Amino acid sequence: MQPTSSMKEEFLKKWQMGLQIYRPLIDNTSVSERRKAIKLSADVAMASLRRGTTCWSRALIQKTATEDNFLVRQMLSGIKAETLMNKKLPKVMCHRKIVRRSKKILMRRKSKSVSEEIAAKARKLVKRKTQGLRNVVPGGEFMNNDVLLIQETLDYIVSLQTQVNVMRSIVDAAEAGIER
Amino acid sequence: MDLSGRFGARSGNGVPFREVTGLESLHLGGGDEFRQMVLPENGGGFTALLELPPTRAVELLHSSSSSSSQATLHSVGTLTFPSNPILMERAARFSVIATEQNPNGNISGETTTSSVPSNEHIKTEPAETETSDQAAVEKQNNRCGKRKDFDKKVKSSTKKKSKSSEENEKLPYVHVRARRGQATDSHSLAERARREKINARMKLLQELVPGCDKIQGTALVLDEIINHVQSLQRQVEMLSMRLASVNPRIDFNLDTILASENGSLMDGSFNGTTMQLAWPHQVMETEQSYHHRQLQQPPPQQWPFDGLNQPVWGREENQDHGNDHNSLMVGSASLHPNQVKMEL
Repeated sequence: MQPTSSMKEEFLKKWQMGLQIYRPLIDNTSVSERRKAIKLSADVAMASLRRGTTCWSRALIQKTATEDNFLVRQMLSGIKAETLMNKKLPKVMCHRKIVRRSKKILMRRKSKSVSEEIAAKARKLVKRKTQGLRNVVPGGEFMNNDVLLIQETLDYIVSLQTQVNVMRSIVDAAEAGIER
Repeated sequence: MDLSGRFGARSGNGVPFREVTGLESLHLGGGDEFRQMVLPENGGGFTALLELPPTRAVELLHSSSSSSSQATLHSVGTLTFPSNPILMERAARFSVIATEQNPNGNISGETTTSSVPSNEHIKTEPAETETSDQAAVEKQNNRCGKRKDFDKKVKSSTKKKSKSSEENEKLPYVHVRARRGQATDSHSLAERARREKINARMKLLQELVPGCDKIQGTALVLDEIINHVQSLQRQVEMLSMRLASVNPRIDFNLDTILASENGSLMDGSFNGTTMQLAWPHQVMETEQSYHHRQLQQPPPQQWPFDGLNQPVWGREENQDHGNDHNSLMVGSASLHPNQVKMEL
């Protein structure tokens, strides 16, 4: 599944809308501030394409809202003002630690055959990897369901790809314009 | 798509089937998950992703008999993912009686009538899931003849099936055929259905991430996926840094020009919205003449900056545009740098 032209166009439009919000602040001369502005508006544009249907988009919007509330509010133009208030507490994390500890105690009792041990180790490895995936995907900590996690990852990867394509073409155009 | 034992390392290691949760135990996927992928589970995001309207998949399920579906199986082979007819063939092949969370009441109604032809699909399911794809095609032909041998299996699960087919009209259920030596209680069935869902999505992910097709084993595939996501995120940061280090006037104003150009192209009219921008006059004219050329050529929906960065687009958009567009890109690309040279 590759990003389509219509997705790219939408993203571009929304991104420009976000950048225009920063336009009066064009005198923020620091490169890092500009970079932050660009990245934040790109992120919100990407997340708003999904209109709150996916978990990662909501989490991403919340994350950028902590950094620049005004931008998010302007870009979403009040449609999704409630998503800003929607905060999910990571209360599940505590449960997992307790579960892990109790599992360790139980594991000591069982005697295992070799093949079972191998399978158990493989399973542990996969669990660790899924945890790593949760750390990477925004809002992943709230996806305890593996099916949901993979679905979100799929959507997230496609959106990231559109974002990268659009940004790369803009950057190339801008740099080509400068060199000539 | 190749269904051979990609996860063969896991499923062939002699471990008896056990009820493990999560991504840990994978075997080759069965049928129902494709339907669930196709139908809008999460509010349209996923079907938008797959670009497959659910009703068409249903039509395909009914229209294709087992023989025709087997004929199409040969062609499925090792085709790449992003092409709709292939996905529909696959949906026809892995037919499902009903689905979860089905917002469209018609589909569950239609599928009850198709329970007889889809029985053949279902019975061939276990064959496919245990063996490779190419061998499964021949085996399906054999299975149809040897259906008597599976009477045992049929009897053990007829009760479940008849009950579930009754409930089909009332509730959307996931129908999973119990295989030999498998527990048939509801928990393990739900587990198996869940696992098959996970398998199907993992396959999609593998096709999406480049270089994951060859890898066997869930952990390594997940590794690759994580690396890919991280690299994409890093690329976004790099690109935003590059864009920020460019002259700020250019990056903000260029975008506003693009916005207005996009708007004017969408309308199909070529009004002077660019005149209102605070940009040197020459650039506006060059942009206009560039886009004027662009407009006279095929489809107006084509993204206006197709010709702008020919190496970049040639790399990434080869799948979107046919060969007839390449000449367009080359022509316009040579035009634009000259124009930009003029004003800067």
